[in-house]
Amino acid sequence: MRKSLARIYALSKRNVKEIVRDPLSLIFMIGLPLFMEILFYLLFHKQTDQFEMKYLAPGIVVFSQAFLSLFTGQLIALDRSSSLLTRLYVSRATSVEFILSYALPILPLTLIQSVLFFLVGGIVDPGLFGWRMPLAILLGLITSLFFIGMGILFGSICNEKSIGGIASILIACQSLLSGMWFPTEGLGGGMVALMNALPFRNATQLMQNTILGFGDAWSGFWRPMLILLAYSLAAFVCAVLVFKKKMKQ
Amino acid sequence: MAAIETKKLTKSYKDLIAVDGLDLTIEEGELFSLLGVNGAGKTTTVKMLSTLVKPTAGEATVLGYTLGRDDAKIKELVDISMQETAVARKLTVKENVELFARIAGQTGEEIEKTEREVFDAFGLGKVANKKAAELSGGWQRKLSIALALVSKPKLLFLDEPTLGLDVIARRELWRVIEGLRGKMTIILTTHYMEEAEALSDRIGIMRDGKLLFVGTKEELYQKTGKNDVENAFIEVVSGGDRNA
Repeated sequence: MRKSLARIYALSKRNVKEIVRDPLSLIFMIGLPLFMEILFYLLFHKQTDQFEMKYLAPGIVVFSQAFLSLFTGQLIALDRSSSLLTRLYVSRATSVEFILSYALPILPLTLIQSVLFFLVGGIVDPGLFGWRMPLAILLGLITSLFFIGMGILFGSICNEKSIGGIASILIACQSLLSGMWFPTEGLGGGMVALMNALPFRNATQLMQNTILGFGDAWSGFWRPMLILLAYSLAAFVCAVLVFKKKMKQ
Repeated sequence: MAAIETKKLTKSYKDLIAVDGLDLTIEEGELFSLLGVNGAGKTTTVKMLSTLVKPTAGEATVLGYTLGRDDAKIKELVDISMQETAVARKLTVKENVELFARIAGQTGEEIEKTEREVFDAFGLGKVANKKAAELSGGWQRKLSIALALVSKPKLLFLDEPTLGLDVIARRELWRVIEGLRGKMTIILTTHYMEEAEALSDRIGIMRDGKLLFVGTKEELYQKTGKNDVENAFIEVVSGGDRNA
């Protein structure tokens, strides 16, 4: 057990270094969302409620997490194509240890994202500060699980060239189907039902409700939380199965 | 004790028999070269014996442990350097060695000792703080092979270790491999006949998944009537019949 934890720690440390030493990952996971948070607030917060910081900052946190799937997937796809993963598979490390070492180091990264975007949001609009902010930061760890699971799944299926395209679809879905950029009132019932059935809007709503107040506990907290956890579990189960299958090949 | 003993070891895919009934014994401490043209089954053999690929039929023992049943034990005793350069590209050379040492269960002073040994053997000290991605192809390959030694394996698989290297880098690696002789059992697959000639205690020649010849260079010359490995190899492979 101790040796297993030591291996997970060593592999996790390596995976963090591989991600943060890539300037593109920092630009997309931190720079771009931060730029969008400030720009959209400054441009639109007086015209539309949607862009007030209490809505925008939680939305940006989840949006930035969508990029985790791209960079986690890219790392795994590269490790597969360069045979590093195959080689490590001859070592004492098990496939579960590999998966944990890809997933766990992403959690501190997502924590940094949440803290940064909420802090910047709070500086721009001090009304954001309060006891709900640390709670939202902690819940951000849960919303990130879906994207981490999808990243491991993409990385296990795709090669290094196709991973960008596939992950972009997920990022676009988070952007367009979360309702963070436009009010959903004007949309048709079918579209809203679809958005409610998918994880993207539920993740954003969970974060926004944490800042705004949950209201009805079922619709404000438990429903989006359970839907999100179900998708996260499905993503991780598929990721583990596909990863193990690919390693055996 | 035999480091490797296989009986009718076979790997087949849908329409292809990659390794066909391999019977092979390799003694501990031997440097054994496996030769063959592309698709002969060398890499599949290495992958089966290193637990990466499950055999379809037959049986094998690796360092006394049964393949398939004792894979966890085998993994503790073997390591592999793949055909492709396989390093963590954004880590420095030192960080790469540390990573593999920690995965092998080493800690503290043990890791430092391993670093010194590996740096000395491969001359990696001068690039210790460079990221792997910034190294030339030759240095990356050296690092890739060095990482296979970090776990201090009793059995080392070197799959085409000098593929794509220039003649100087190749000779340097030969020197390193030569230095490992006797310290562990080494199984080398290669396309380069002069490599097998210079390094091996014994040679195995494969074609279409079958082992056509096993023996020393001298036995190979005697069987084929040739006086160099390249011509003897061509004779065996084009002849088609098992010579030993």
